[in-house]
Amino acid sequence: MRHPSRTARRLAAATVGLVVAAGAAACGPEDNDAKGSSGDSGPHKGGTLTVLNSSPQQNFDPARLYTSGGGNVPSLVFRTLTTRNRENGAAGTQVVPDLATDTGRPNKDATVWTYTLKKDLKYEDGTPITSADIKYGIERSFAPELSGGAPYLRDWLVGAADYQGPYKDKKGLSAIETPDDRTIVFRLNKPEGEFPYLATQTQFTPVPKSKDTGAKYEEHPVSSGPYKVVKNENDGEHLVLERNPHWSAATDAERKAYPDTIDVRSGLDSSVINQRLSASQGADAAAVTTDTNLGPAELAKVTGDKELAARVGTGHFGYTNYLAFNPTVKPFDDPEVRQAISYAIDRSSVINAAGGSALAEPATTFLPDQKSFGHTPYDLFPAGETGDPAKARELLKKAGHPNGLTITLTHSNSKDFETSPEIATAVQDALKKAGITVKLQGLEDNDYSDKIHNVSTEPGLFLAHWGADWPSGGPFLAPIFDGRQIVKDGANFNTGLLDDTSVNDEIDAINKLTDLDAAAQRWGALDKKIGAQALTVPLFHPVYKRLYGKDVKNIVISDWTGVLDISQAAVK
Amino acid sequence: MSGFGGFVLRRAVGTVVTLLAISVIVYVVFYATPGNVAQITCGPRCSPEQVQQVAQQLRLDDPLYVRYGHFLQGLVAGQDYSTGTSVEHCPAPCLGLSYQTGQQVLDIILAKLPVSLSLVLGAMVMWLVLGVGTGVLSVWRRGRISERLLTAVTLAGTATPVFVIGLVLMIVVCGELQLLPFPQYVALTDDPEQWAWNLLLPWLSLALIEAAAFARLTRAAMLETLAEDHIRTFRAYGVGERSVVGRHALRGALAPVIALNANNVGSAVGGAVLTETLFGLPGIGEELVHAVNVVDLPVVVGMVLVIGFFVVIANAVADVLYAVADRRVVLA
Amino acid sequence: MSEASTVSRTAGTDTTVPAVSGARQFWRRLRTQRAALVAAVVVALLVLVALAAPLLTAVEGQDPTTYHPSLVDSARGGVPIGRFGGISGDHWLGVEPQTGRDLFARLVHGARVSLGVALTATLVQILIGVVVGVAAALGNRWVDQLLSRATDIIVAMPLMIMALALLAIVPSAFPRPVLVTLVIGLIAWGSIAKIVRAQTLTLKGLDHVAAARLSGWGPWHVARRELLPGLAAPVITYAALLVPMNISVEAALSFLGVGVKPPTPSWGQMLTSADVWYQAAPQYLLLPAGALFVTVLALTVLGDGVRTALDPRAASRLGVGTGRGRAGGPGRGTGRSNGARDSGGRGPAGGAAQKEDTA
Repeated sequence: MRHPSRTARRLAAATVGLVVAAGAAACGPEDNDAKGSSGDSGPHKGGTLTVLNSSPQQNFDPARLYTSGGGNVPSLVFRTLTTRNRENGAAGTQVVPDLATDTGRPNKDATVWTYTLKKDLKYEDGTPITSADIKYGIERSFAPELSGGAPYLRDWLVGAADYQGPYKDKKGLSAIETPDDRTIVFRLNKPEGEFPYLATQTQFTPVPKSKDTGAKYEEHPVSSGPYKVVKNENDGEHLVLERNPHWSAATDAERKAYPDTIDVRSGLDSSVINQRLSASQGADAAAVTTDTNLGPAELAKVTGDKELAARVGTGHFGYTNYLAFNPTVKPFDDPEVRQAISYAIDRSSVINAAGGSALAEPATTFLPDQKSFGHTPYDLFPAGETGDPAKARELLKKAGHPNGLTITLTHSNSKDFETSPEIATAVQDALKKAGITVKLQGLEDNDYSDKIHNVSTEPGLFLAHWGADWPSGGPFLAPIFDGRQIVKDGANFNTGLLDDTSVNDEIDAINKLTDLDAAAQRWGALDKKIGAQALTVPLFHPVYKRLYGKDVKNIVISDWTGVLDISQAAVK
Repeated sequence: MSGFGGFVLRRAVGTVVTLLAISVIVYVVFYATPGNVAQITCGPRCSPEQVQQVAQQLRLDDPLYVRYGHFLQGLVAGQDYSTGTSVEHCPAPCLGLSYQTGQQVLDIILAKLPVSLSLVLGAMVMWLVLGVGTGVLSVWRRGRISERLLTAVTLAGTATPVFVIGLVLMIVVCGELQLLPFPQYVALTDDPEQWAWNLLLPWLSLALIEAAAFARLTRAAMLETLAEDHIRTFRAYGVGERSVVGRHALRGALAPVIALNANNVGSAVGGAVLTETLFGLPGIGEELVHAVNVVDLPVVVGMVLVIGFFVVIANAVADVLYAVADRRVVLA
Repeated sequence: MSEASTVSRTAGTDTTVPAVSGARQFWRRLRTQRAALVAAVVVALLVLVALAAPLLTAVEGQDPTTYHPSLVDSARGGVPIGRFGGISGDHWLGVEPQTGRDLFARLVHGARVSLGVALTATLVQILIGVVVGVAAALGNRWVDQLLSRATDIIVAMPLMIMALALLAIVPSAFPRPVLVTLVIGLIAWGSIAKIVRAQTLTLKGLDHVAAARLSGWGPWHVARRELLPGLAAPVITYAALLVPMNISVEAALSFLGVGVKPPTPSWGQMLTSADVWYQAAPQYLLLPAGALFVTVLALTVLGDGVRTALDPRAASRLGVGTGRGRAGGPGRGTGRSNGARDSGGRGPAGGAAQKEDTA
């Protein structure tokens, strides 16, 4: 689930909203590389790492975690077939083996994937981890009692669409085979070269069937990782993790697990989290946060203070905030009107509303500006920094609106600085210069998310955002632009209602590729091609700034999650 | 004591009727709020089929009156539910299960209640000391600097939203002066000393909001008492001014202070939403707002009922105290 | 809640009924209180500022919604450029962080919303509270039971939660300030209804009211001619407390994301977004907080003054309290005819007796 970080402080933003993508973002800043590996003050084992978070870990069941939420604290307890490369920046976007010996062996057309488990893998109670446990873990994620995960398993596995989990359907999923204790085979209904990315999700965590307590499993999930849960108070408000004696670093190349204890305190106001991290007193000196960014006000204070500025990690997570058009609503059915708005947009004032140039970078492409997504730079309707109202007026005139235009922009009333009123008013103010009068329609969070994801109620123009389930063009473009993913009777994310055969075919063709670099290039090209239709106006890519305590060492922030990697941090 | 017994009985019946009415209102109102509960529970990327399965599992497809009937049934007789792997029993009075987490609502409430009670009872002591103190001063030392300052502080407290007071207090006291650690809830049973230190700022913030009303109430009531005949008699007989103000007039203020206090305590148990949120105290108010945002109806209903219960009980206790303080009042 | 105990808890502060020629006397008494007069002027000024907001901002040459990106430092989170939050001849009180919108314009326009919502909501609360309270007290047993029970329910319901739910239900096309006003007004009338009911019960027992009833006047006439004057003092006093409470509720609703919608400014909304800026741009927080404080202080002092003017008995009490000043006797009958019931009868309405009138 996406945590609205700095804004979660506003309870209203207990955003159930649009959870979509991974948590937050991004990478160790350039200078962090040096710091992380420098000199005598290298990381040592021991001590207690405190985690100060705004959202409690209400779900601690591997079946219920969404991609991003599983990447932080849960990844200390749950190992998966594959995992993220725990490196700074772009290197951190690679997928690497975890429980498996490699990232998966596909058949020729990438419809069958085979994994072999490492030897001597054990749970926290010393019992061995088997491939059947991984199969069972995936199966239970289909139970309605344990919903919450990403849709890919259901979409990809043969015969999984109607499966209701092992509690109702004892037969299990025939698409997953476990010929022996260390081998597991997945049969897919179409080629998916990105399956290794999917295998990083917590649904691929082994769950011993004999220990499964269904909806109550999250009270004590059985650990396969370096830490086990010894305390879970108040439904995830206060967690204490201690070392799992049966975990062996020899089988886990990724998790460093320096601290002896992890103490997670959540339910905190985000401005309080940042105050505590900046004061860095007592236990807070060894504290980090996995869900709270610096807000603009805090940034203003931090930049004036050298000591504090040195304790800020910067990350770039694959994420785009944009204006979305519904081309079935007039006047947005006219491409020239959509283009005019694209030209008129003033990205600098939108960026100020989002927190300023340190917290947001202008976006002219839908794909995040990172190599792993295959980012191909383009700016098809150049608006410069502050917009090109003259060009916009000219296009509007051509489109038959010589006297300007009155339109409605729908936004949410949350305080997330993404789909929130601040951004909407900045857009409103910018379009005024082009003779476009914007009426604002602010909806409560739930109402907003219901309306924009329902094809029959979708407004003509609204604020939207999309984040990466994993750092690749596939999960970024397909749900939004694949015509076959238009959902008529449920939550629809293809809000531009684009059903273009050439786009659909290209998506299928790229999914067949198992060479992820080659695939990335073609995703980039596809993004540019779709961009020409002006179904969205990309606004900005957020930049994530996070404070950490004085004593925290070995800061690693990958471009995959964008957050400080809790498995790498040391406090001694 | 038959009078008292009758009082308790009538109060109990009245409470049950009031609470049932509240539960109906909450059911209807939240039934009408937007937000697809099954979709929220299932996750945004769930397919329509999955959403349907979740809706079935949570019995969301039943009509409103059936769901309410189910709720009443659980309240009286308890209910069984499945975790997938086993069948569990939620004993009466069962307030149902959270849509979002599957936990028993009563368990959630019982876990949060100590936090809210810690906050409210401590703050109560502070607002009584601060408010009544200011009120007494304003009668006894009218016009002095100390009185004016206190009156201004309490008024400023009322005028400023708690999220501003609390945050500024925290930044100054914990961040800049480092006099106290940043508040973090510690259970009274774990460590009473840490409990108090950590709750000091939340208590103060909440007390500042309420103190002005007590100050004004105390002042008014004392002035009124001072005008009464028996006080004149005391004065005429040469009873000292300090004794008149301190003992007799203050006693006159006791009853209204008790009444207002009961109201405030009752509603603050679930109403200190902003204080709890700001200070990260995992209490009823914070949980309730979260539940409202995710349309977690069983949690909302359960918590609203508990809050209503406290308001009603606090008022009943006030009436008893009141009768004790003033014998002329007959409990009815 | 039982009848007698309710009465005793919340009965109005006193049972004095101003003389029929009260209006003139009232103004005469009010004029003698310097503090109240100053407060009245302040309140009048605030209302005037709110009404004249467009005019004032026109004089300044600004408006509350235009962005000035060049006046904020984008690289530092959008903190205003220049000293004291960018105060200048163009921007009298500086600009808002992040957007560069003019703070003076937002403050005076915010006064419209905040005062408008708070005052109107108070009127709604008083209207409902008085009608329900009087009807319960004068009606038969069943009417009383029904209305008293409804009042109990309203009092026991967490205001903020119901407000959250109601604000989410109503379609967004409905004008927000009106909606917020209605929601606050419709949810929080419980206390005033209780006070009015108790006070009415007390008044009902008074000789002149009883006489009016016995001589065959209808309940409407009795309510209007005999009761309302007696209800004025506690109601006005309580209203002076309600206004700041309502301003706070508006602020809290903004904090929870369901208040008046941007870009319309309100003080509550300004406070909500300004609290985190306390360190980086203090004046952004101090301006709305100061405005709110002045408003509450003025309303409280004015409320005290009005009450004293309505109930001169309090003034004599003051003298008694300090042993100096006028030796005015109890003079007017206190009308405590129904003994035990009103004996401790001071509810929250008693909260504002008279404010100091330094002789």
